[in-house]
Amino acid sequence: MKLAKMARSMGSSMRLLLAALICLASTALLGQTISGTVTDANTQQPLIGVNVLVKGTTAGAITDLDGRFNLAVPADAAALVFSYVGYITIEEPINGRTLIEVALKEDAASLDEVVVVGYGQLAKKDLSTAVGSARAKDIKDQPVNSVDQAIMGKIAGVRVQQTSGSPGAGISVRVRGIGSITAGNEPLYVIDGVPVSNDNNRASQRSQQYQDQPVNILSTLNPGDIESIQVLKDASAAAIYGSRGSNGVVLITTKKGKIGKPVIAYNGYYGQQEANKLYDMLDAYEWSLINFEGRNNTYKDRFPAGKDTDDNATRARNVTNQPAALIPPEVQPYLTGQTGLTNTDWQNELFRTAPIQSHSLSVSGGTEGFRYYASGEYMDQQGIIISSGFKRYSGRFNMDLKQNRLKVGLNINPTVTQHDLVNSEGPWFDEGVVGLALAISPIWPVYNADGSYNFGANAWGFAMTDFVNPVALAIETQDNMQHLRLLGNAYAEYSILKNLSYRLSFGADINNFRREFFRPSVLEAVGRKGPSVPSGSSSARFTTNWLVENLLNYNVEVGKHNIAAVAGFSSQKETFFRNDITANNFPNDLVTTLNAGQVNTGISFDEAWSLLSGLARVQYNYAGKYYLSAAIRADGSSRFGENNKWGYFPSASAAWRVSGENFLKDNSLISNLKLRASFGQTGNFQIGNYGSIGLLSFDNYLFGNNTITSGLAPSTPSNPDLSWEKTSSVNFGLDFGILKDALYLEVDYYVANTDDLLLNVPVPQASGFNTELRNIGEVQNRGLEVALTLQNRKGDFAWSISGNFATNKNEVISLAPGVPQILTGGGVGTALWITKPGEPIGSYYNPVYDGVFNNQAELDASPKVPNARPGDLRFLDVNGDGRIDFATDRTIQGNYLPDFTLGATLNLEYKGLDFSASMQGVYGHEILHLLRRYNFNQEGNMNLMRGALDRWVSESQPGNGQTNRSNRLQTGSNGQTSNWHLEDGTFTRIRNITLGYTVPRSILEKAKMSNLRAYLSVQNPFTFTNYLGYNPEVNSRPDSALNPGEDYASYPLARTYTFGLNLSF
Amino acid sequence: MKKIIGFLVLLGLLNACEQDFLELTPVSQPNVNAFYKTSNDILNGVNAAYAGLQSGTLYGGRSLQDMTEYRADNIFDNDPSANAGLRFNIDQFLAGAENSVYDDVWRVLYQVIYRCNIVLDNIDNVTMTEALKNRSAGELRFIRALCYFHLVQLWGGVPLTLQAQTTEESRAAVRNTPAEVYAAIEADLVFAGANLPRTYPAADLGRVTSGAAKGLLGKVYLTQKKYPQAVTTLREVVSSGDFALQTTVASVFAPSNEYNKEILFAVRFSTVNTQEAHGLYFGSAIGDFVEASFRSLYSANDARRAMIELRRPTGSQTQTPVKYFEELSAAGQVGTDFPVLRYADVLLMLAEALNEQGYQATGEALTSLNAVRTRAGLPAYTATDLPNQTSFRNAVLLERRLELPLELHRWYDLLRTGQAIEAMKVVKLNIQPFQLLFPIPNSQIQIYNNTAGFPQNPGY
Repeated sequence: MKLAKMARSMGSSMRLLLAALICLASTALLGQTISGTVTDANTQQPLIGVNVLVKGTTAGAITDLDGRFNLAVPADAAALVFSYVGYITIEEPINGRTLIEVALKEDAASLDEVVVVGYGQLAKKDLSTAVGSARAKDIKDQPVNSVDQAIMGKIAGVRVQQTSGSPGAGISVRVRGIGSITAGNEPLYVIDGVPVSNDNNRASQRSQQYQDQPVNILSTLNPGDIESIQVLKDASAAAIYGSRGSNGVVLITTKKGKIGKPVIAYNGYYGQQEANKLYDMLDAYEWSLINFEGRNNTYKDRFPAGKDTDDNATRARNVTNQPAALIPPEVQPYLTGQTGLTNTDWQNELFRTAPIQSHSLSVSGGTEGFRYYASGEYMDQQGIIISSGFKRYSGRFNMDLKQNRLKVGLNINPTVTQHDLVNSEGPWFDEGVVGLALAISPIWPVYNADGSYNFGANAWGFAMTDFVNPVALAIETQDNMQHLRLLGNAYAEYSILKNLSYRLSFGADINNFRREFFRPSVLEAVGRKGPSVPSGSSSARFTTNWLVENLLNYNVEVGKHNIAAVAGFSSQKETFFRNDITANNFPNDLVTTLNAGQVNTGISFDEAWSLLSGLARVQYNYAGKYYLSAAIRADGSSRFGENNKWGYFPSASAAWRVSGENFLKDNSLISNLKLRASFGQTGNFQIGNYGSIGLLSFDNYLFGNNTITSGLAPSTPSNPDLSWEKTSSVNFGLDFGILKDALYLEVDYYVANTDDLLLNVPVPQASGFNTELRNIGEVQNRGLEVALTLQNRKGDFAWSISGNFATNKNEVISLAPGVPQILTGGGVGTALWITKPGEPIGSYYNPVYDGVFNNQAELDASPKVPNARPGDLRFLDVNGDGRIDFATDRTIQGNYLPDFTLGATLNLEYKGLDFSASMQGVYGHEILHLLRRYNFNQEGNMNLMRGALDRWVSESQPGNGQTNRSNRLQTGSNGQTSNWHLEDGTFTRIRNITLGYTVPRSILEKAKMSNLRAYLSVQNPFTFTNYLGYNPEVNSRPDSALNPGEDYASYPLARTYTFGLNLSF
Repeated sequence: MKKIIGFLVLLGLLNACEQDFLELTPVSQPNVNAFYKTSNDILNGVNAAYAGLQSGTLYGGRSLQDMTEYRADNIFDNDPSANAGLRFNIDQFLAGAENSVYDDVWRVLYQVIYRCNIVLDNIDNVTMTEALKNRSAGELRFIRALCYFHLVQLWGGVPLTLQAQTTEESRAAVRNTPAEVYAAIEADLVFAGANLPRTYPAADLGRVTSGAAKGLLGKVYLTQKKYPQAVTTLREVVSSGDFALQTTVASVFAPSNEYNKEILFAVRFSTVNTQEAHGLYFGSAIGDFVEASFRSLYSANDARRAMIELRRPTGSQTQTPVKYFEELSAAGQVGTDFPVLRYADVLLMLAEALNEQGYQATGEALTSLNAVRTRAGLPAYTATDLPNQTSFRNAVLLERRLELPLELHRWYDLLRTGQAIEAMKVVKLNIQPFQLLFPIPNSQIQIYNNTAGFPQNPGY
């Protein structure tokens, strides 16, 4: 290994000379010649550049392009040692053989593995900061459309959440908790050295009340192109990214060609997806009974002498003008027990079993001077909601050219993705099809006898809420988004001196979104019968992000002193352009582009930010035992206010590799022991582009003959002091390996304080503003992360288990003076979240209910809301003032942040068979299941969850004592958001199970193949949770820290069964 | 070495352009640093003040209606379960200081006041004709006065800000007395009445006129029981001849006859685009919301009775009072104006002020009252019908109720005439004297955090 390293770093003439010397030395002691091949035990590919050493000597060889070696060994040599970066070193006894075939296993906890750390790389054993990583083998075999889904639960302290099953969207990543209250909490993504914009909302959004889940910026990347992912978790590691490092940095490195003859590989899978969970809803007969009961109670609340048997005419006489007291005639047949009536399972109608497939072809290879990797991928995921899906066409070309002192490289990644969208992320009143499917009455059919859509639930009358048929909405609404992305970078590196090189690199990330929406006339308008007037919208987004970097690298080894230094500066700028056009009054559905309608609004909008940075870092180690590093970055940004243009972000770290000391060096038990400590400061610059500048907004008025006349008014106040949020963190780590790292443990403890928090501080409204953006307040995250790997191999049988545990405590330390707390509303005004010192960001803060009032006596004896009746929810008088006041009778009831998370992966291999299973668990978080407002309210207006059958009916039939009575026009403020709507989100999910078989090399060689593996896999096969909704990780607003964890209807997650094939020549 | 020097030169060059590189001003949004410099900027600022009144919280929607119409005895909230009783609780005097409707109305009224203040602060630094400057200032001061008039009637003493404040200044503010607020309102309206034009060219129809300012000033005087000043001011409006009753009540509200001669000031809407339109006023999909005790006050031949009947636009489940009826646009909206002050109101105010000054059997007070009454198709009152000051007072109040329902006047009328507590008993609500004022929104009480200078209204 060391030989090779030295050889590489020397001039070519020196190298020749050295090779000749080694050759001479070897032949002088010649005893016998051994030859053979070294392959990868898993892929059976030849391994190039494997070090083969005669045990106990320095005599050795390196395998060639075909994995072959030829080595002259002394007669008394007993064994050969095969070592290769990232693989387990093995000793093979010679036993008189002259031909030795060896297969090397990948090392799950390899300490020589190269870890990318931002502006450089290190061997894992030399790390002194907290860096989590995942490699290609950790993410393979999973039918996911983006790589972040594949690392779910795999890296301690990195919480990847799938907040919605919407294909190509709904992923949120949080590294070590949440540090920011109002600025973003997404990490910085750096793809092959190019920091890409982490603003999730660059995709086209339709102007609806409840926004789509943000498009995942990693959904354009072919997961198969990815070599490794590193997550810089502590501030010391991330500080090199300065004002963008606070939320952690995710470094993604794509595959490069390896020296050798061309390898052509095909990887593909085909699978079927289904909703992994459904709501248990009432059927038409059950629902009708509650509808009836709810209307009877409304009737009798107003006319106590009324009877359930009164007909509509009688009811209308006794309670005038109250359609909610009447029984809709369509419901009546269900009450008489007539069988065979329409009984629609709307979830079943909206969801489907949908195929998913991906096919990618790559060719890679190279020589010492030229290496290349090229790939193309086609992915097609149809959604489990009808008329939704995601397609990706991606290409990649990576190459590196080396000649003398110059190295030049290029990575290009053009992609087209197509999102076939449905409005899944919103309640029924926002035309969210999932919310509608749960709300609409099962007595209506999807289609009429003539095949046309049934719109009976719309403009029904009888105080029934209007619902447009969700199946019709999903199918007939056209909503398509196309995303074009060109991501690439190019560099040139020149060795100025032996140890000094200069690198100039350019990066670009160009994104174009186009979205077309059309709502045709066949869909009724809400509350209006008959064909509607079609409307449509068209929007485009164009983002250009470019980067120029100049870096000087200096590496030197003097005796046992190793120094690596880097310094440089970079500039980056992003421009963002959007336009949105809406039109209505289309004469018909024939032409759906906006030229056919009347354009009623049109907006175009331009924005930009820029960032100028200087950076420097020195890493030093002595004899691989003592490590010190220090770095600083200076960032200036257009986003920062006049008075705070530049920020400085220092960091330092130290480590002691105890196992490198003499007293442990040859310890048979402890193979590795390292102590780490680090400190760093990072920033969060996700504060909006023009936050420091007071902006004006248009607010127009009408004069004359209704002529629009422009008006402009200030919409935000100015703040020239506005700056980044600042995170200071310390991290203490321990790496511990025993028995040649058969057991490997990593433990990290950290404390991260974020101050100068960007807060929208409420100001007196008499100032003309509601809030003001200021840098004030402090949040702390502290936590413990443990990652454990166990591995063993016995003959043909190998196994490994890796697991991780992480716990993070989030606590607001302080807010602005005069701001004791921040109360935030959510999907409904009566739901509140509180953020205040001593508590985590965004805790649920709502009234408390405790069962239902069983009778009048209980009602009389308790504080209550004015119109409460027996059977209504009993709210607690939290402050004990003898009355129920929803402003003050509230309490903190948990939050969306988990107490701890677990992840584990099991791998088994026996001969050609491989098996893996991974699980993920999130424990102790609560979800505000707002759908219960509608689907568990017992009004009998919308369809209800099965639990509604446990409602209070009368004193003698109190149900389970927890569920309010049925009533179309509720009394007792049962709809007030309270713990009635809160559920425990704890879940344990088996994330993936895969069984694979690799065809033996002996058979393949006959077919001129180098590898063939087939596998079966199930994604999300089991989820264990008490949560009643689709997804216990749901979050309506993943970008908002103040009011997280709300479920107001969302795309369910899929369970996917796939068959896959890996093939290479 | 050359290369290193070259590198350093490059570094220097990049630093030189740093300033330009990092100074990015908004492209698509105007910013305050470059605004309020030209007369066109001022006009845009004035227009935005008008536009503030279109807010769904004020004249464009429900919240101000909750606090002035649903609160009073003409109509009731028929949907108690909607939004967990958010609006129902206001109607029923159950809502506390946390009710977000109060927050919204308070916020938006002050937002409009801020829009007026910031332009008024800058107007003297801009080169523009004196006439345009005075007109703009008059428009802004009218709008500001209208907002303070709502604030003081709803909440009593409120912080009085007549200049744009920094947030620090704003935090230090205290509640002014009602008298101080009224004094500022009067000053604004006196200025507006003196400086605004009587009429505008057709293209500017809808801007505040001197007549509108005087009409509102008359109402402000009347509310403070300053009867002589009210009479003088309202007479100026009548004698100007700029305004007249429409021949029928229906034509006052006809969508084809907007901003007619009866309108002193209306907040304008149109379905020309979605931002300038509004939803159905007082819309309800679940039945009647007009109090039976109110509807029964109309005699059979009163033309105004039809105005409060409910009508359903084509294809809609929602009903709206005929007064504000219009068929829905494609976007499901309507564009009817909301009348803030109309001539019938002026005549009834004049009658009221004259009667409070001293009862006269015949004369100007009676003719003013009868002008409104006979237009509705009812017989004129005679001196025999109204033999004394009390009967005349009650007749005017009844006439106001019949003439001006759903125009946000009823609650203020009850407050002004001291009849709120008695009137609410008719609709089975026994309210306490403290409930004549609304609670200051909780959020604001917390922000000021000053029980001495910024106390909550008593009782809450």
